[in-house]
Amino acid sequence: MNEQQTMLADMAGSLFSALSHGATVAADWGRIEEMGFAGLLLGEEEGGFGGGWADAGIVFRLAGYHALALPLVEAVVAARLAADAGFAGDGFGTLAEKTEGGIDDGGFTGFLKGVAWGREAGYVVAPSPSGGAMILSPRDAVIEKRQNAADEPRDILRFSGAPVVPVDADIFALGAAARSMQMAGALDAALELAVGYVNDRKQFGKPLGKLQAVQQALAVFACEAAAANSAAVGVAQALDRGDASFEVAAAKARANMAAGLGTSIGHQAHGAIGFTHEYGLHPLTRRLWSWRSEFGGEHHWTMLLGTRIAAAGADNFWAEMVRRSDPVA
Amino acid sequence: MQTFTIKPFDMPAGAAALREQVRAVIREHVTDGDIVRRANCWQVNDPEFSRVLGKAGLIGMTWPKQYGGHERSALERYIVLEELLSAGAPVGAHWIADRQTAPLLLRYGTEAQRQRWVPGIAAGEIYGCIGLSEPNAGSDLASVRSSARRDGDDWVLNGQKIWTTNAHIAHIMIGLFRSEEGSERNAGLSQFLIPLDTPGITIRPIINLTGEHDFNEVFFDDVRLPADGLVGTEGQGWSQATAELSLERSGPERYLSSHVLVTELIRHAGGSQDAAVLALIGKLASEVWTLRQMSLAVAGRMAAGEDPALEATIVKDLGNSLEQAIPSLIQAVVELDLSSGDALALLTAQLLQVSPSFSLRGGTREILRGIVARGLGLR
Ligand SMILES: Cc1cc2nc3c(=O)[nH]c(=O)nc-3n(C[C@H](O)[C@H](O)[C@H](O)COP(=O)(O)OP(=O)(O)OC[C@H]3O[C@@H](n4cnc5c(N)ncnc54)[C@H](O)[C@@H]3O)c2cc1C
Repeated sequence: MNEQQTMLADMAGSLFSALSHGATVAADWGRIEEMGFAGLLLGEEEGGFGGGWADAGIVFRLAGYHALALPLVEAVVAARLAADAGFAGDGFGTLAEKTEGGIDDGGFTGFLKGVAWGREAGYVVAPSPSGGAMILSPRDAVIEKRQNAADEPRDILRFSGAPVVPVDADIFALGAAARSMQMAGALDAALELAVGYVNDRKQFGKPLGKLQAVQQALAVFACEAAAANSAAVGVAQALDRGDASFEVAAAKARANMAAGLGTSIGHQAHGAIGFTHEYGLHPLTRRLWSWRSEFGGEHHWTMLLGTRIAAAGADNFWAEMVRRSDPVA
Repeated sequence: MQTFTIKPFDMPAGAAALREQVRAVIREHVTDGDIVRRANCWQVNDPEFSRVLGKAGLIGMTWPKQYGGHERSALERYIVLEELLSAGAPVGAHWIADRQTAPLLLRYGTEAQRQRWVPGIAAGEIYGCIGLSEPNAGSDLASVRSSARRDGDDWVLNGQKIWTTNAHIAHIMIGLFRSEEGSERNAGLSQFLIPLDTPGITIRPIINLTGEHDFNEVFFDDVRLPADGLVGTEGQGWSQATAELSLERSGPERYLSSHVLVTELIRHAGGSQDAAVLALIGKLASEVWTLRQMSLAVAGRMAAGEDPALEATIVKDLGNSLEQAIPSLIQAVVELDLSSGDALALLTAQLLQVSPSFSLRGGTREILRGIVARGLGLR
């Protein structure tokens, strides 16, 4: 991390740890606005922070690490896309995971699914039925409140002939990239809890952390957390380079795999205490389980990747993968 | 907590040209039709190909020119290695000398040792082997008992090494011996540079489960070395040997040993609509891509003079688990006739048999995970 990124991480870390999973938009969004986080991906001339995806990746990872119960990552991505579209919305923007319906005479009729905090958002960026993305106003929608397994709002918004602003973006891929970064953070946090717990908790006259079976299991968890974190850094780099279609698929699939092992080992190491509402493991693991399905599960992304690789041919797989991170000659 | 300190890497300018150079060498010289020899290729010996690489300036990439090296960067070296491995080129003969023997001599050796051995290694003509394991010192390496005793200016070695890969084709061994009588555990050990034609050395093949001869037993019976047979500092053998581990554990050979099989799986898939096969290709690509990110991050940190030992251990454990799982994952989704001459079947059969060694050689899975656990602060 460079100096600016270290400052950013310190700022985000202290705010997010104070807000954590108890935050609400009504009470706490003002503090996110105050610090300008929503403008993370906006240029300084656009009134933003002037950051790239590497910077966003640091903040998104910390949002996951602290189980931040606010639509921060969605707002950051939405703000970037709104600026691209020349759209000036009020309030914060959010993302929809899926769209069903069609555009007729410039009006959208149908519904958006998985809209994070749609009930409180000022605008929503969604996959467009005619390709790319579109921006809509939740004020034009009938809102059905829903939530994921971590109680994060994931609303359904129904529209009838609502005005849309088109924008060129792959929302599903950007959402997947953002989730893979949050998952990396949540995995590290759950690992840290588990390590702390087994060093503390004594059975058979010694800390659990001394037992080789426990050590080996947590080492596996650490490897998975490390993989997810590396993938998240890699996808941010690819987004900063430009086309990240391969890397998004690889990173979200890898994060999903890591979430499976990490949540199960994390809970096992904690015994019954980790199964309580009072203890701080579930805000992480319930998010991991939820995020694992959001913006594409393993099958979605591995099929996409596998189909693409098979179509390009066996002898292009390696060459194409490494070409993507080589500087352009 | 961050388990893995990741410094994003940037590939050097000229990466593409360097890859093309390596690929051209492979196209011209790796024409052997025996596809089985592409699997686990850094344990497949072809001295002729090693000399070709030496002539092309692709061994000893980072070493000083005065010792036959090429003074390129660590990432350029990485590019060469990953291109060779992903293509399944037979790089076994010089692999250990390039990865370990020469770097050790450059770091701890005397001027005479460097001049005597390193240029030949860079030329792809001198090969090395690693003498660590003994019959009673496997994972518990600190229980090494083979001894080195001073006699005047000379050293006299006695004892036995085992599982010594390539002792039968190597010119020199770097061996770990107990140089202080009565010393215990990791104290009193020293590293020696042993020309394998020295009188008193007996090398006996150990045939592996596929019937191949890769590793050996090496017996030392009053083997007399001159004073400069010692490498580095007397009594510092343990720390010298373990200092090199990050390099040994995090390279691309720790996740690419089965890569040619992935390539063959993709060829097999062709225009197939088989969802299980396509999803497996995607899963393997996701994991290979991630491991490459990790392995390059470690390479970048080592190039900056750091020793990311924990990260290197993580790369090896994850990488070995992946390359070991590949043949059995393929077996689970593709109907294979392992008696056929089909490339996918031949490679799967070969890798099913040799992949158990992936999580043994260079430190077992359990030992690696113990190191990771210690790195996590488990106590
Ligand atoms: C193909 C191949 C090439 C090799 N090449 C070389 C070489 O060139 N030079 C060289 O010196 N050596 C070489 N080795 C040897 C290798 O380093 C050893 O096999 C390895 O260190 C393990 O030692 P061991 O085989 O004696 O197994 P052991 O140490 O006897 O272990 C057997 C099993 O018990 C487990 N175990 C042991 N201790 C513990 C513990 N504390 N906690 C939990 N589990 C434990 C191990 O993980 C393993 O699963 C090679 C091995 C192979 C397979």
